[in-house]
Amino acid sequence: MKTLIAISIITIVALALVPQLYFAHAQLAQQTSEKQYINLRAEVWNEFFRMTTAAFTVGAIVSGTMIWLVWRFRESNPKNKNPTKWEHLEDPTAGSYEDEGGH
Amino acid sequence: MGHDTAEWVFVAIVIAVLCYVGVDSWIVQKAVEDVPANAEVIKVTGQQWYWSFEHADGTKEISTLHVKKGHAYVFEIYSRDVMHSFNIPDWVVFEDAVPGHVNHAWFAPDTVGTYPIQCREYCGLLHYNMRGSLVVEDDNAT
Repeated sequence: MKTLIAISIITIVALALVPQLYFAHAQLAQQTSEKQYINLRAEVWNEFFRMTTAAFTVGAIVSGTMIWLVWRFRESNPKNKNPTKWEHLEDPTAGSYEDEGGH
Repeated sequence: MGHDTAEWVFVAIVIAVLCYVGVDSWIVQKAVEDVPANAEVIKVTGQQWYWSFEHADGTKEISTLHVKKGHAYVFEIYSRDVMHSFNIPDWVVFEDAVPGHVNHAWFAPDTVGTYPIQCREYCGLLHYNMRGSLVVEDDNAT
């Protein structure tokens, strides 16, 4: 599980960083040219692609979490064979995560 | 890793991404709206159903606007009658012309050519024909 989380975080960071490095390199190349003014079209499109990257990153996190939730807490998961402490309680709302012992 | 930690990591990542979105957008918007100090002012007036232009030296043009490559221009956009919208799609110039109000937009063409100008706000019967041309000329041509 920890490996999976580590790989996910590395992937997310790479997703965010790779376009940044690409655009930073492109901007440096532009600075060395003789252009006096910023290129509005380039700025707007670069921003669009950066925002798309951010949107897909958030989408990946949210949908990934939902997929993990469904997979982890499905009825057929062997980990769910025994009822949790909450399900033993008469009042399930009285339970807490701490009582689960890091389950 | 407990549940609490996982939740906080989740929340922190999403908040970090949203902060990045906000800050980056703000920086780019500031850069795009920052008019160069040496930009030449061109008054743009929209009226049913044509565009007229007045350069800083008093030269007036109707429907066809001539500018020089490599120079920055800032448009002062007026309207004489109803709402119009001054749009040069190829140069990302897109600003409303509002009666009684002055809007601004700037651009610095770096390619010689002829580009369409159009009204992008429905302004009456001949709105569809409220078009013009932007002619970008080489600075050394004249």
